[in-house]
Amino acid sequence: MTTGGLIALSPLIVLAAATVGVMLVIALDRDHKRTAALTLASLVVALLALPIAASATTRQVTPLLVVDDYALFYIGLTLAATFAVAALSYSYLENLAGQHDEYYLLLLSATLGACVLIASNHFVSFFLGLEILSVSLYALIGYVRTRQACIEAALKYLILGAASAAALLFGMALIYAELGTMDYAQIAAARPPPGSADAVLLLVGWGLMLVGIGFKLALVPFHLWAPDVYQGAPAPVTAFVSTVSKGAMFALLVRFFAPMNIHAYPSLVVVIAAIAVASMLVGNFSALLQTSVKRLLAFSSIAHLGYLLVAFLASGALAVAAVPFYLVAYFAATLGAFGVVGARSGPDGDADGFEAYRGLSRRNPWLAAAFTAMLLSLLGIPLTGGFVAKFYVGLAAVQSAVWIPVFVMFLSGALGLFYYMRIVVIMYMRAPADQPITPAASLASRPSGAVLAILTLLVVWLGVFPALFIEIIQTWIAR
Amino acid sequence: MPDRLRQYRPLLLPVAGLLAAAALLAVPAVGWAAPAVQEGHGGGGAFFGLMPLLILFPVLGLLINIAWGRRLDEKWVGGIASGAAALSFVIAVLQWVSLRAVGYEAQTVYLADWLAIGELRAPWAFQVDTLSVTMMLVVTGVGTLIHVYAIGYMHEDVRANGDPARFPRFFVYMNLFLAAMLILVSGDNYLTMFVGWEGVGLCSYLLISFWLEKGAGGIGNARAGRKAFVVTRIGDWAMLLAIFLIFWTFGSLNYQEVFGAAASFRLDAQGQWVVTAITLLILMATTGKSAQLPLYVWLPDAMAGPTPVSALIHAATMVTAGIYIIARSNALYALAPFSAGAVAVVGAATAIFAGSIAIAQFDIKKVLAYSTISQLGFMVAAVGLGGYVAGMFHLVTHAFFKALLFLSAGSVIHAVEHGHHHAAAHHTAGGSGPAGDHVPAQAHGGAAGHVDAGKPGQEDHGEHDALDPQDMRNMGGLWNRLPVTKWVYLVGALALAGIVPFSGFWSKDEILHDALGQQNWLVFGLLTVAAFFTAFYMGRQLMMVFAGQPRTEAARHAVESRPLMTIPLIILAALALFGGLFNLPSIAGWTPPGAHALGDWLDHTLGAAPGGEHAGEAAEAAAGAHAGAAQAPELNLMVAGISTVVALGGLGAGAALYRGRPATAGERDPLRGVLGAGFTLIKDKWYGDELSDLLVIRPYNWLAHVSADLIDWRFWHDWFHNTVIGGIFNGFARFSADFLDLGVVDGLISQAPAVLARAVADGFRRFQTGYVRYYALIVFVGVVAVLGYLLFVR
Repeated sequence: MTTGGLIALSPLIVLAAATVGVMLVIALDRDHKRTAALTLASLVVALLALPIAASATTRQVTPLLVVDDYALFYIGLTLAATFAVAALSYSYLENLAGQHDEYYLLLLSATLGACVLIASNHFVSFFLGLEILSVSLYALIGYVRTRQACIEAALKYLILGAASAAALLFGMALIYAELGTMDYAQIAAARPPPGSADAVLLLVGWGLMLVGIGFKLALVPFHLWAPDVYQGAPAPVTAFVSTVSKGAMFALLVRFFAPMNIHAYPSLVVVIAAIAVASMLVGNFSALLQTSVKRLLAFSSIAHLGYLLVAFLASGALAVAAVPFYLVAYFAATLGAFGVVGARSGPDGDADGFEAYRGLSRRNPWLAAAFTAMLLSLLGIPLTGGFVAKFYVGLAAVQSAVWIPVFVMFLSGALGLFYYMRIVVIMYMRAPADQPITPAASLASRPSGAVLAILTLLVVWLGVFPALFIEIIQTWIAR
Repeated sequence: MPDRLRQYRPLLLPVAGLLAAAALLAVPAVGWAAPAVQEGHGGGGAFFGLMPLLILFPVLGLLINIAWGRRLDEKWVGGIASGAAALSFVIAVLQWVSLRAVGYEAQTVYLADWLAIGELRAPWAFQVDTLSVTMMLVVTGVGTLIHVYAIGYMHEDVRANGDPARFPRFFVYMNLFLAAMLILVSGDNYLTMFVGWEGVGLCSYLLISFWLEKGAGGIGNARAGRKAFVVTRIGDWAMLLAIFLIFWTFGSLNYQEVFGAAASFRLDAQGQWVVTAITLLILMATTGKSAQLPLYVWLPDAMAGPTPVSALIHAATMVTAGIYIIARSNALYALAPFSAGAVAVVGAATAIFAGSIAIAQFDIKKVLAYSTISQLGFMVAAVGLGGYVAGMFHLVTHAFFKALLFLSAGSVIHAVEHGHHHAAAHHTAGGSGPAGDHVPAQAHGGAAGHVDAGKPGQEDHGEHDALDPQDMRNMGGLWNRLPVTKWVYLVGALALAGIVPFSGFWSKDEILHDALGQQNWLVFGLLTVAAFFTAFYMGRQLMMVFAGQPRTEAARHAVESRPLMTIPLIILAALALFGGLFNLPSIAGWTPPGAHALGDWLDHTLGAAPGGEHAGEAAEAAAGAHAGAAQAPELNLMVAGISTVVALGGLGAGAALYRGRPATAGERDPLRGVLGAGFTLIKDKWYGDELSDLLVIRPYNWLAHVSADLIDWRFWHDWFHNTVIGGIFNGFARFSADFLDLGVVDGLISQAPAVLARAVADGFRRFQTGYVRYYALIVFVGVVAVLGYLLFVR
């Protein structure tokens, strides 16, 4: 590897080194605060390494990884989201008994996996990144061993993850068998013309890969793990699963399929469109009557990934920029929502029932305001990032004349979104329950409070003045 | 008198403070925004730079009330909110002044960039032209009066409902609504308009369910709010699709650019199709927001909100948004005559449909609610006919007299409630409390449900313990007890009924005139009958509320409201009386001074819109009609005659039929004798609620229930696991244990494996591993489906 390659990979190297470093520090002496600070600091260093990486001369590092502007943008997004998760986790874990230093280890390695996934342009790095991410997640989801729901969620994720990884691998194998290469660009160049007999194996390979990817993204019908895992996992981990893990996989999806010109394969487009439509419908309608906030957010996230898939289908110049914008808005709102859930959670379990939010506006108006902003953004009310993002996706889809998914997108959104309002209503319009305020419940400690404040501002800023951010995306990614 | 004035004193400081803030902000704002305004109009347009303040004031007001509302006195809270509304009104007036100075030329006031995606540019910019300023003046003017009224009204209301702490919240929502509504009418493109469009929907939802925990069964109001939210969302969805289509077709969302592009639009087959789709989608959005057939169902339920909300949002402003946007998009409708025709027919059908329902309602607010739907139908019909001036004229006058009627109805309800309490106090304590004094919350418990307008089974009730203060059968004889309310109510009713020279006469007449001018006999006929209904139900209502003898103790002891509430009523009454002066027609060759004022004024915007000159013959017809409508016409004596006869006839028939009847609260409605079974039909609203319940609400709830409860929970978690997976697994375990082990392996190692298998099966169920197997099964099915499609369908 050349020096240029090392420079290009510097954010990933920082992450890997930080993982080892944190492990060594923990081995010497445990201190939650120090470990968390070290983690946050290393994430900042990795973020600072991004401009350096951008200046690198070599962009293709080994045949496996490519560090282009696209990758750097998503790595930056991943690092920022992980930073938020780590800060939220600190406050969350402070409330739990026991030692928690290893948590950060897992978080860092999961992030590393996500970054590898984003930078991959080869099946090997794809699978490598996926497994680094997944194995860390198994442990993270089941991190609070004393809770049965946690263990159960981890087990489910493990079993189903293994099954879907098998499908993914098999798909890759078929494509390799057909084309003799595992490099994305070479696959795109060597793919047989649509409609030919040889294309069958390719299509099947893609189909199986879609299953694996669809599982990670929790798209219908591969979504079944999501509600259980969201509900069972600790709130910050849920935030990580629904943002970093899905975001990295979506970045990969776009990178892998963009050069393939999927629109030449009508059947593939139909399958993806069907998955998108099913995800939007199932997500929005199943969320309607949920009594668990985390389960509700799981279904909402299923629907949101369906919206993203609409942008993916659009695949015009607008869509290239719509996807990152949507992801940023979705990240901010989702992290914030789970941040509030985490802040309301005590040592006995997460604040999952609606009861926990009853009258929150009186007990903790700031927390209630933050949650409201997040929910309104997820709902797509104007002046929040969610509206602009949804509009952006709609615009991209309309310009590519992807009418039916857009139709479903806004209809299901219009009809299904009532569920977010239920939480808002409970927070503002119901008197608080009579139970005494537990210290944990009233406390959104400093790190998570700061993160929530920033996320709230971000959500509103994205809604009111998105122009600057759109410009950043357009100059960075879409050039 | 000093005592009366003293209650206003707390208003002084907040108003002064807001004025000072305004002055402070105005100076830099002018300097800052002035360059953004087109130069070259001399100094006349100086006030355009103040445009952002129009929205900033309500936002400031609500921020202040969020921050300090809890600690401030009620008068301050209300004063700040009203002051903010009043300042916005001042800004709107200044815009009018500036527009005059620049010769009514439309201005764009640029504030900041918002969205810039590809070719799409949607900045935060304001469209200041005669159409938007008209809306601004109505929204802020009527809004201010309603805010002031609400100070008095909500003072009582929060106590009657037992939660005075909710007072500031009401005004926060009201200011929020004002801000959203002003964004809606002042944006210079469809997207910022949509921001307001969604915003007012949200505020409407919040205010309808203001007393969330009240209403029928404790969830009536929550349900009403939810209904409004979901139903209007269908319209919002249509609006969003229309916006996408507009961008797709014209490459812009800016009003000027879209209408400019529309003028040179090549109207081939596909173009015709697209424009028709856009305009029909806007119509659909209008049926949601402006409560037209078939999406009108939410508006009557929306009366669950406090009365000032009904007046401001559900009569004067928000529900007219659809009319505004159709008038704004007149260049598009000129290209799509089919859509324009559809708009006219939907409006006229709604007018007669809702009008017929209103004549058989007993709830004083329900009558007004259906009346509002009906009057909105008049406006929609007018803009559909191309009579944009007539539609806007009616919008303005309707804002005056319907806001007046709602607020007066609120005053009547209060009076009856007071009387009810007074009477109850008489009975129990034998003495009377000081009249007009505030009652403790608990004592008012019986009336706590008064905000609920949707109680079932109101028809056949007698004198109940829990008196419904909104039921007109519980009123009667209030003429002598409400010295102010009776007059203003009368003015509002006559204006609504369309009696010369009240404002409603002039605007309604102009709509009928346009229908006749187009020889659209269907619309003309429907609207004429609807006008008869209007007069009839107002005659009925006047008689039932004010005439005859009191039918209950509550009505007997009714007390007039405080000046804080009655002064806005008097101002509104003056507007309802003289509102016709805004747009008088020429009468028999004589043009009164100021005639056609609104028409000429709006013509600067509507007339300047690029019409159908380049757009084919069909469009030219529509454009021609619109041009004819824009020149406020000669008073057509035949139309005026018909409408006067119809109005007087309706009023007279209503008055005659209800003269002295019903004599007691339990007596059956005299109209029932005339209409027979038909009465039940219209009293039950042609079963529109049931129909929408059957067609929309129930499938919606069912789907939600099925997907969340049944599929996600009961099916996946309980039934499928326990029955299917558990059954199969147990069956298999039994098979392997009983048959294989015992039979084939002939119980070699006794029964240990079987026990083990059972233990596994049990454990499996307890740890819910079965779910995962099931999930894996579904994943597998998905794999098969995906691959099957790719392989065999391709």
